[in-house]
Amino acid sequence: MPDERPDDRTVRLVRCAQRGDTLAMAELLDLLAPFVVRVCTPIALDQGPDAAQEALVAVFKSLRTLKKPAALHGWVRAIAVREAVRTAHRAARTVSADLSALPARGDPQLGADIRDVLARLSPEHRAVLMLRDLEGLDERTAAALLGVRTGTVKSRLHRARDTFRKAWTS
Amino acid sequence: MNELWPTTDLDPVRRLHALAAGIRGAHVTEAHVDAPFERVWSLLGDLEGGFGQVVTDMERLRVVRRQGERVEALARSRYGMRARLRGVQRPGWCWLQSRFLLIGVAATPEGPGTRVAFTGGVRLPPRAALIPLGVRREGDRNVQRLTALL
Repeated sequence: MPDERPDDRTVRLVRCAQRGDTLAMAELLDLLAPFVVRVCTPIALDQGPDAAQEALVAVFKSLRTLKKPAALHGWVRAIAVREAVRTAHRAARTVSADLSALPARGDPQLGADIRDVLARLSPEHRAVLMLRDLEGLDERTAAALLGVRTGTVKSRLHRARDTFRKAWTS
Repeated sequence: MNELWPTTDLDPVRRLHALAAGIRGAHVTEAHVDAPFERVWSLLGDLEGGFGQVVTDMERLRVVRRQGERVEALARSRYGMRARLRGVQRPGWCWLQSRFLLIGVAATPEGPGTRVAFTGGVRLPPRAALIPLGVRREGDRNVQRLTALL
């Protein structure tokens, strides 16, 4: 369907997949895999592929329960964040968060070392950063997805970036 | 600065596991074979040749249409049913479905060798489900046949 809008295509694929069409499921997988990898890797780091696989397993296991196909990406994002945090914890690679090391948004000098910086944070902090700076979610949506209060997300980010900026310019 | 965030790719074997998870009764058989990916996929990617020698769910598979990665093939299943298989084939990935048959094959380089994975069986339309009889045994046999051919 060459003239189909991306959103319409997504809805059609979800409905076909929910009806048992495995070709539609395979097409959905092609659509979702890069997105899930992008969400999982900054949180789970070296365990990114494991987390993405676990997230996609959870997505396809419960796809029939998705009532609003148009909400697919939000639903998948929530699953991916949950699985990435869980995988990162399971790998026991968590180091206590050093909030002063959080990168400021849009700073190219910091971007070069972003993986090293991320590795020093807890999975929960990486999740907040990813949702705000990579996915571009507002604080309210990020807080709802992570199950914390909006104020918590906001104050953590503000304090972290402020602390980091001071450390960077001192 | 999105491009600076760490990212990676999800290999076809991992993708096969994810997809099979959504199909009731499906089982994924995974194995490492001591042959380079190019050699393995020259067999598995040849739908009218080596593929049928490894995946023996159907006989005399004949490709009737190919458009990019999309492929359509005619075959007779070993259960006697004629099958019109439709699906996607690309290096490391083959996913074919007919009304009553499902075949999934994936391969990815692993060191000097290759990791391969198989799934599939007899479908239970209209659900995403397979008759769970013999799927595990058939996967093991696919690996044995592939290893013998390499």
